[in-house]
Amino acid sequence: MQTTERFARIAALKPTRQRVALETPPVRSEDGDRLAQLVGGTVERNRYGQHLLVRRWYAQPEACEASPDALKLLLSPAHGRARTASGSSWPPTAIADTAQWLFLDTETTGLAGGTGTYAFLVGVAWWDSGGLQVEQFFMRDYDEEHAVLEALNQRMAARRVLVTFNGKAFDWPLLEARYTMTRAIRPRVPAAHLDLLHPARQLWRLRLGSVRLAELEKHVLGGDRLAWSRQRDIESWLIPQIYFDYLRGVGSHLDLAGVFQHNQMDLRGLAALTGRVMGLLNDSSAFPCDALELFGLSRMQQRRGQEARAQRLYERAIHAGLPRQLDASARRQLAILARRQGDYDHAARLWQQLLEAGETSPQDLRGLTKAGFSGIQRIEAYEQLAIHFEHRVRKPRRAIEYTRAARLELRRALRLGLVELARGRKLLAQVEHRLARLERKGGQIGRLLERP
Amino acid sequence: MGHSLALRQVAGDSLARMREIISALGSRGPTAPRGRPDEVIAALHHIPAREARWATMPQWVRAELASAYRSKGIERLYTHQAEAAEAVRAGRNIAVVTPTASGKTVCYNLPVLNAILENSDTRALYLFPTKALAQDQLAELHDLGQRLENRFGVFTYDGDTPADARRAIREQGHIVLTNPDMLHAGILPHHTKWTRLFENLHYVVLDELHTYRGVFGSHLANVLRRLRRVARFYGRELQFICSSATIANPGELATRLTESQVEVIDSSGAPQAEKFFLFYNPPVVNRYLGIRRSYIGETSRVTQEFLARNLQTIAFANSRLHTEVLLTYLRQANPVAPGQPDKIHAYRGGYLPGERREIERGLREGTIRGVVATNALELGIDVGSLDAVVMAGYPGTIASTWQRAGRAGRRSGSSCAVLVCSSAPLDQFMAHHPDYFFGRSPEHAHVHPDNLEILVNHLKCAAFELPLTAEERFGDVDLAALCERLEEAGYLHRTGTHWHWTQEAYPADAVSLRAVTSDNFVIVDITDQPEVIGECDFPSALTTLHPKAIYLHQGQQYHVERLDFEQRKAYVKSVATDYFTDAIRYTQVRILETSEAARAAAHAERAHGDVLVRSQVVGFKKIKFFTHENVGAGKLELPENEMHTTSYWVTLERQLVESLPCSVSERQNGMYGLLYALESVATLLLMCDRRDLASAIGERPPSPGIQSEWEGSLETTGQLSEFFEPNLYLYDAYPGGIGFSEPLFRAHELLMQQTQDLISSCPCERGCPSCVGPAGERGERTKEAALAILNQVRAQE
Repeated sequence: MQTTERFARIAALKPTRQRVALETPPVRSEDGDRLAQLVGGTVERNRYGQHLLVRRWYAQPEACEASPDALKLLLSPAHGRARTASGSSWPPTAIADTAQWLFLDTETTGLAGGTGTYAFLVGVAWWDSGGLQVEQFFMRDYDEEHAVLEALNQRMAARRVLVTFNGKAFDWPLLEARYTMTRAIRPRVPAAHLDLLHPARQLWRLRLGSVRLAELEKHVLGGDRLAWSRQRDIESWLIPQIYFDYLRGVGSHLDLAGVFQHNQMDLRGLAALTGRVMGLLNDSSAFPCDALELFGLSRMQQRRGQEARAQRLYERAIHAGLPRQLDASARRQLAILARRQGDYDHAARLWQQLLEAGETSPQDLRGLTKAGFSGIQRIEAYEQLAIHFEHRVRKPRRAIEYTRAARLELRRALRLGLVELARGRKLLAQVEHRLARLERKGGQIGRLLERP
Repeated sequence: MGHSLALRQVAGDSLARMREIISALGSRGPTAPRGRPDEVIAALHHIPAREARWATMPQWVRAELASAYRSKGIERLYTHQAEAAEAVRAGRNIAVVTPTASGKTVCYNLPVLNAILENSDTRALYLFPTKALAQDQLAELHDLGQRLENRFGVFTYDGDTPADARRAIREQGHIVLTNPDMLHAGILPHHTKWTRLFENLHYVVLDELHTYRGVFGSHLANVLRRLRRVARFYGRELQFICSSATIANPGELATRLTESQVEVIDSSGAPQAEKFFLFYNPPVVNRYLGIRRSYIGETSRVTQEFLARNLQTIAFANSRLHTEVLLTYLRQANPVAPGQPDKIHAYRGGYLPGERREIERGLREGTIRGVVATNALELGIDVGSLDAVVMAGYPGTIASTWQRAGRAGRRSGSSCAVLVCSSAPLDQFMAHHPDYFFGRSPEHAHVHPDNLEILVNHLKCAAFELPLTAEERFGDVDLAALCERLEEAGYLHRTGTHWHWTQEAYPADAVSLRAVTSDNFVIVDITDQPEVIGECDFPSALTTLHPKAIYLHQGQQYHVERLDFEQRKAYVKSVATDYFTDAIRYTQVRILETSEAARAAAHAERAHGDVLVRSQVVGFKKIKFFTHENVGAGKLELPENEMHTTSYWVTLERQLVESLPCSVSERQNGMYGLLYALESVATLLLMCDRRDLASAIGERPPSPGIQSEWEGSLETTGQLSEFFEPNLYLYDAYPGGIGFSEPLFRAHELLMQQTQDLISSCPCERGCPSCVGPAGERGERTKEAALAILNQVRAQE
């Protein structure tokens, strides 16, 4: 049988996507130079061959300062896990030297990772002459990958602190895989790696929901006032296909130029965001912060054991006016901190405030989802107050009242399906247990002590 | 009756007990006098005890390793263990083929651990077909590790491995225990994270090699191509150590899977205790319809005979449902005082690892007296040895029947294995031909790694892992032509001499090693809140999930409201009906190319080649439970399914058909009956899953070379068209074929002979589900007609 005929039947050989009609006519490749012209780049050569280099200097964003204290907040592991090899071998004072910083962002042939995903455009940037120097290394075909990786190595040798947005999970492991694939070039491992994704999440996810870089630019860095505009930015999900089309000579060079611009903006956004985060961490009082930022900041401080600072920030956040559920969270954290410091009366006051602030009517409960339910915090508050009045203040009757309230709230939540069944039942058993004990006690001592 | 009854020669207590049970079994059921062909004990095979054959621990084994083994009670080796260790030491690939519980793990652990102790950089990869087996080996290796001051790291790497443990495993695992699926989708596409492993990888252990056959085996062969390719990238050539249950062609299978020279070691030095093997055939309760007493009920009774005498017993069932049914029966028969732990447990997939370990321990320690298991316990999980094994139904292959039987076998005293036959054709074939079972294994494991559909999918994965070059070899195909094709389709891009992957997608995700296609339908229960209750592969979806079908899931009936082809979803509602549905499928086969043809008889021809199979579900019947009355029907308009595959076929020429001493409709019935029996026997010979093979009848094209119009057949009775010169097709139910057709062509004579045996030795009068299909559905004289055709097909010129 004919090979072609045989191939025609193989499902795995069928094209995966319908070719999208191209807006611009395909450009045939006499290529590299035309592209170089379009993006304003030059063809560079190193010992592994050629690649395209684009170099740009921007007055904005402006360089920022970093204090060792702020860096400690960024560097110390988020979940108490051991430092990774790319974590930090340098002390915070050395890392605070912004002359060592290299911002990095890559454009890749996919997001899935694995050995078949390539970083076809590697962008780096650093502070220079008060502004930002950007360099982009581009492989015009797969055989230029070695040269691109070598060029990156040279930049990384000069600046040893890597600064990325989600680079710890994505860009850097991908690049490490690319280096391994060469079997020739060893990557220059950074002395420290600052990744802005986690701090950004802690600071802004509550407010924005999503912490994509473009969102942050718009809502945190003041969108319109930025020196660049995302208005004509390409959709990032199109990027791999734009590159594949370029490789096959069917794509538009203009689209590809758009990818270069996208990468430049990402690097500028990253640098600007770094400035903003550093500012907040250096000294939050110098910045106009909103309540949500303050709340996020306090959580960061608390997780890193800075309890006094966290406490102050929570108080500022409450003062600035938090939405109901976060207000309850903030008061809860403050109560926990107060209890830990032995200030039980203050803790009790905070629990009471939490209950007063968030009185939920049955109407409010309707239509609530499990995720949006703050009742668990209220139940916890009732329980904490019950403990307080039973053991410290020794007013069993008050304790009984709070326990009964907890039971009521819990039963309601269970009925409405607002807590997970297993968890709710476990809590209910605890509450019933406490109540039984208190009532027994109340029966004996309570009568003697509390009744006149 | 069994040929090998050797009761006379044996004496002793255990024999007396076994004899007591055997006679109890013989007297329980039948009303018919003894000596009739339908006697319930269809075979009694005695396996005498055999002494161990020993070899000394090889000189080169390091002192600390020898002493670790000594502290486990292993001071010397069985001959096959020593032979295996020496061969591995000498750098050869091996396949160890010995019975259950013959100490095969020593065959690979000893040389591998020795190499690691000699050079701590050495790495090994162990592949097990299931996660449970990997867990079991992990326990064994941990035990050895403790005796060796933990000088090596052993880890399992599978879907359950926590993300934060993975990094440590990649760096510190001297031995990584995993499964083919994880290697395919988790390790190879990320090989750069496993640099440490690949740069030092020496040994690849393939345990339970015989499970890698058919589609799964063909996938595995391609995964191993990718593995060898990645290893070469890191400068390593791999050495393979395989172990397999007894099949006819272990060496061939190992060679095809690893594409390397493999030495077979199949002379076991392990001792063997005395054992009885019984085939128990439930008594016939309706001779006319060929119906026997329920084999599940009979399994329960047989098992109870052992339990009642305080003999530790495993009962095997072939489905989860039957496991639960048996468990219920046996717990009723063995009540425990309130508050006491149950002495009977179930063991199957879906249980948590902790629960499983608990049961395994209970069995070893004897606190659990009985276990009802699925094949989850068939492979090498260590539960110690028990007194008796009872199998509810033939497990499908001789190899796995022996593996299950191997669960029984005390070092001293006797043990017993019982196969309780169901009415399925294969079970009845075994009941009537015990020699076939007890003789030399006839089962060949077939794989077809160069099936283009499978190969191309793995070629994509390979390109993702490392760019491809035209000089490479990947199976027996024109790699450059394929790569060009993949480039045209947008998967690859050529730069200089290399083809690179140019898709965002991660190709391994789209390829499942186990399912026939990865194109599954999701079943959504919309009785209340929509809920996904299961998945179903594409071909089965057409026949079981068509609109208005009654779909059975975990004993619950569902009515299919809607089948969404685009979204691959079936929406069902829970119902209670007194009928089930049976799809009517129209299947057409067209021969594309005959690879080989030969005369089978004066007026019959056999052949194999490429075919195009077109099938369509055109309607369905509603069939009442129990009475099997046809209570309604419906028409369906479902898309046609087209598949290019390979087929073996037999042509009955006009003279043959016309010379048959029966009416036209009897003739047609006979052909369908014969095909039914042929398919059963073929799955036996091919050691394949019933779903891997399919059959059809079609009119032979008028003359070779001229493409006829589509000639097809409805897979149901009552609407048969007349065939003048029919082809009986047995084709591979997988696009591109899975390598069954040529072996069937070669085994034609054996296939015919055994089909004849199956039909003629069946005690039913007019055909039954055990031979040519249920008499009620086929019509009169089906059995006779089928035999008449067979006689003609086997008649020499």
